[in-house]
Amino acid sequence: MRQSLHLSLVFTVNPETGLKAAPMAEWNAYYQNEDEEGEEEEGEHSGRDYKITGRDSLVFLVDASKEMFIKGEDGEPSNFDMTMQVVRTVYTSKIISSDKDLVALVFYGTEESKNPRNSFKHVYVYHDLSEPGAKRVQEVDALRGEKGAKLAAETIGSGETSLGDALWCCANLYSDIKLRLSHKRLMIFTCRDEPHGGDSVKDRQARTKASDLKETGVVIDLMHLMKPGGFDISLFFCDIVSPPEDESELGLQLQPSDKLEDLLKRVRAKELKKRALARLNLCLGEGINVAVGIYATAVAARKPGSIKLYRETNEPVRSKTRTFHTQTGSLLLPSEIKKAQYYGGKEIVMERDEVDAIKKFDDPGLFLIGFKPMEKLKLHHHIRPAVFLYPEEDEVKGSSCLFSALLKKCSERNVFALCRFISRRNYPPRFVALLPQNEELDEGKVQITPPGFNVIYLPFADDFRTLDPPQFPSASQTQVDKMKEIVSKLRFKYRSEGFENPVIQQHFRNLEALALDMMAPEEIEDLIMPKVDQIDQRLGPLVQEFKDLVYPAYYNPESKPAAKRKTADTGGGAEKKPKVELTEDELKAHVQNNTLVKLTVPVLKDACKQFGVRTTGTKKQELIDALIARLRS
Amino acid sequence: MFSYLSLKAQTCESWLTVVLCMDVGLTMSNSAPGEESSFELAKKVIQKFVQRQVFSETKIELALVLFGTDSTDNPLSQDGQYQNIRVHRHLRIPDCELLIEIENQVQPESKEGDWLDALVVCMDLLHTETKGKKYDCLNIALLTDLNTQTNEESLEVIINNLTQSGITMQFFLPFPVEEDKEGQGDSERRDPGHPGTGKGLSREQKKNMELVKEMMLSLDVEDGLDEIHTFRNAIEELCMFKRVERRPVAWPCQLTIGSSLSIRIVGYKAVTDEKPKKMWITVDAQSHQKDDVKRETVYCLDDDNETEVQKDDIIQGFRYGSDIVPFSKVDQEQMKYKHDGKCFAVLGFTKQSAVIHRHQFMGSQILKIFAARDDEHAGVALSALIRALNELQMVAIVRYAYNRTSNPQVGAAFPCIKQDSECLMYVQLPFMEDLRHFTFPSLENKKFTPSDAQLSAVDSLIDSMMLVEEDENGEQRDLFKPHRIPNPAFQRHFQCLHHRAVSPGTPLPPIEPWLKAALDRPEVITERCQDPLDVLKRKFPLTEVEKKKKLKTSVGSVDPARDFRALIKQKILPFGEVCQQLTHRIEQLLSNKNTQYYMKSITCIQAFREQSLANAEHYNSYLQSLKGSIPNRGLEVFWELLVQGMICLFT
Repeated sequence: MRQSLHLSLVFTVNPETGLKAAPMAEWNAYYQNEDEEGEEEEGEHSGRDYKITGRDSLVFLVDASKEMFIKGEDGEPSNFDMTMQVVRTVYTSKIISSDKDLVALVFYGTEESKNPRNSFKHVYVYHDLSEPGAKRVQEVDALRGEKGAKLAAETIGSGETSLGDALWCCANLYSDIKLRLSHKRLMIFTCRDEPHGGDSVKDRQARTKASDLKETGVVIDLMHLMKPGGFDISLFFCDIVSPPEDESELGLQLQPSDKLEDLLKRVRAKELKKRALARLNLCLGEGINVAVGIYATAVAARKPGSIKLYRETNEPVRSKTRTFHTQTGSLLLPSEIKKAQYYGGKEIVMERDEVDAIKKFDDPGLFLIGFKPMEKLKLHHHIRPAVFLYPEEDEVKGSSCLFSALLKKCSERNVFALCRFISRRNYPPRFVALLPQNEELDEGKVQITPPGFNVIYLPFADDFRTLDPPQFPSASQTQVDKMKEIVSKLRFKYRSEGFENPVIQQHFRNLEALALDMMAPEEIEDLIMPKVDQIDQRLGPLVQEFKDLVYPAYYNPESKPAAKRKTADTGGGAEKKPKVELTEDELKAHVQNNTLVKLTVPVLKDACKQFGVRTTGTKKQELIDALIARLRS
Repeated sequence: MFSYLSLKAQTCESWLTVVLCMDVGLTMSNSAPGEESSFELAKKVIQKFVQRQVFSETKIELALVLFGTDSTDNPLSQDGQYQNIRVHRHLRIPDCELLIEIENQVQPESKEGDWLDALVVCMDLLHTETKGKKYDCLNIALLTDLNTQTNEESLEVIINNLTQSGITMQFFLPFPVEEDKEGQGDSERRDPGHPGTGKGLSREQKKNMELVKEMMLSLDVEDGLDEIHTFRNAIEELCMFKRVERRPVAWPCQLTIGSSLSIRIVGYKAVTDEKPKKMWITVDAQSHQKDDVKRETVYCLDDDNETEVQKDDIIQGFRYGSDIVPFSKVDQEQMKYKHDGKCFAVLGFTKQSAVIHRHQFMGSQILKIFAARDDEHAGVALSALIRALNELQMVAIVRYAYNRTSNPQVGAAFPCIKQDSECLMYVQLPFMEDLRHFTFPSLENKKFTPSDAQLSAVDSLIDSMMLVEEDENGEQRDLFKPHRIPNPAFQRHFQCLHHRAVSPGTPLPPIEPWLKAALDRPEVITERCQDPLDVLKRKFPLTEVEKKKKLKTSVGSVDPARDFRALIKQKILPFGEVCQQLTHRIEQLLSNKNTQYYMKSITCIQAFREQSLANAEHYNSYLQSLKGSIPNRGLEVFWELLVQGMICLFT
């Protein structure tokens, strides 16, 4: 089926050098304006420029002592097994959503040793800091389950523990990286609250190393796992981990994780560095500016763009784009280019900076218009995904307090704040509703929803389409009641994380298969496919009963409705209209009188063909523009 | 306030045909001191009207007839009849040319024209120029001060003719219509203080007004007098450009629950982030021709010679973490996720409160789902579902795919019951991959906890700024409705296009005052919140954290030209050293053979030159050596750009 697969040659990019440097940021921005794409999608700018911000990094430091391999009751997976599952999930999710992040996997308390200069005993660097790839996913997979435990025993084994050495080794991993790192995180997975069994020298050494690491900007988290008798953080680890982001939060009271889902949730919550899309002011009135950060918490994940490769060697190629004059062939400077739109028979021309200036109404920021009761926010007033607002105390001192008071009062009084919002430079304004959201924690004290305002974009008059809704009689109460039975039978608890995107999943499974030379990609489960058999079974006779109530016996909703015959005078119905061919003169007259719009798309297409006008588009306006361009010259 | 004066456009399915008939005669130029004359106001009305039609590209044909003109030019003029009436433009699609003509050629003239005669010319024009074509909507808009002698004998014939040919009329006058003259009855409703009526009208105007009313009431329309407008109202309503309108496209499909229950439905986009219809095209600055500009992309290997690679030798690859996996288009097509196409299938039902995480709505649209047109059975079945969901406060979670080539989504279908229609409203929900679980520090922090006094200051601010209030009759009034405001980006865009079309060569105008006002806090609110804001300001100290200003110490790579200028100005480093730093950056940039880098180098060289006016030694010697190295380094393209950039050596 995929013969070409075997010829595939995988080209691995050196993370140190990466692909050849992309053009500098500002020029990127400059040339984006050049694109004919028109207005950029706002809110899609969550992708970050690694050249500027540096890369995120994450080290998994996993305890490999015997205790980690003890299986739970009823065949529950061991702590080690669970940890590997988490590592794998993070690897694959990094590949999908942030493939430039660096990840490492290091074991401590091992029998065998493996580290860059082999200077540390009982520390095993399984993966050094690098972008996760297909092979690494496979290697982590190999450590899972029964077989994985066996493999771990053979390759790394369990032995003495020195967390100090392990931390030192991790420090070296960071310092060996030549790339700029923006966020450095280290997660310790263990079920032993006294790793050195009370050896105070080793404890002290570990504390020193931990504080060294923290000093270089590494954030250390503890992902402590279940231990019979309970995990006591105060015995040792309280001095190792980084203090929580905010002092009042006593992060250490977290319960140890005994479920994969919990552990995953805790890792997930920390694994992604949050980054503001923008920092700007929320202006309540003259001189009252609250500094806020805007965050994208839901961004449609897309299949990543392709990279162009040279067929012979599979190496990436660079593209160069030039703008030149068709006749003279000379390169055109930005100043030799203008922008135009065609309206009412006239090319209306603007300077490039005028095109930007037209979009500018004011500087970026949020401006409070007033407040409205929550029920005034209509469900269908939706035009794009929301963003999230959180105060930036570092920009304006006092922001958090006023923000907090505003949040509290809006929430209490069940009102939202209506604001005018300009998200970036040279962007026209939109109105937004700021919806208060209170902080929520789960039983394990893990934050489920953060405190802040959700920013809902509101539509303008132009964003509504005028519909002519068909009118029907309403269903009777008997019919409604029968449907209620059906609805009740198919109740389930919706969770927003419950559905994977089958398109993206399939794409990455395919890549995985190709990268690892697998025979076929792993099957994906399409979670957004209705489970028809289950539904049928649950509903049983209800479906027929409902149909008997609403559909007459002869009616079949699957069949296409009989095509409606038009009245006789339109000429036999089935017969196609004879083709209207335009003469050149007629066409020219249309161009002259600006009446091309009155012709239908098929006629315009024929005209294009007839006069050898090649068009890329199929939209009416594109056809018209092409014809005008041709017949004017 | 934001209603759209339609001039019938909304009720007209096919092409609308309008004759604008404007009085430019002697009395139209009269005006009270400090006020605009009727002529100026009427001209504004037609200008705004035409401008809307040009930029919304509505299906409309337009003619312009002027009367009261010094010259006579119309097909009916004969033997001294139909004098001082000029057909300025025959029926055509309105264009920028017409806008320019109105701006420059429609000027006050000094004769008197009979408005009834002008009306006959307009009717004749409609008659002859639409002959043999199918037109649904014929309309004549007459703009006049009615201050002329009229031959009223023909009125009856005209009315008959208008009725027969289905032509509708609209009048635009300097003064409002009075409904309370004898013969009309109903005199109680009169607003006694209304200015401009009755008083101050000439005998002709009064007489003509009666004729107008007689005509409008005899025509077969619901309330004829509603089609008599004042200039001022018309300008107010026409000041904004028409909203972007798109014909809704029906999406027929079947809603399925399991394998054997399906309901025939049709979906429409109801709310969506509307983008402008047209894109900017790139044209040559001199010729303004799009065809003179060509963009070309070439590919090359990342080696020293930048070996060019032919398009045919390029295949696609994708990143898989650290790996780049070659993946041909054929393989992609074969292996990609495939599905059965168009669908609206129920996965299950869930409580509304569990899904209404407003902030998790995805996509850029709301679909409204109705039962298939003309299928009453489907109507009843869907109604049962909508009502069941509504009574249970539940939603359907569905798989939605627009067609075979589009990606399927998961979303929620909410019941929506209005007085005259029922539907499901569909909105996309997130996939697991779309969500980012960020944690933020708790705000329940002693440092940030607001005091009671602070909280009550916020309370009074909210009180003073409530946009929804009840009036004396207990009816809710919303002072600010964003969904009634036209998208300011479009308004501004068309304002500028219109300006450029009519007055080329002049700078763009400022944003129109009405638009600015529409985007601002309502005035009552601004007044009301002043005191609470002052209190708030006192209660909540806000201090901007001063950012340490980084003093530039070297020419960086981000904006070398700016750094260079800054360093020269600082005068800390010696001039020669700063120049050397700059040339070093230029050389770095030139090692990338790419137009973008070239352009950046050129800005550096420009800065170099501008700062070298006093001491050109470094500049000249660098440029000499650069020039010499061009052939060896294969930088001819760069040099060409540099020369085009009007840089020359000091001589």
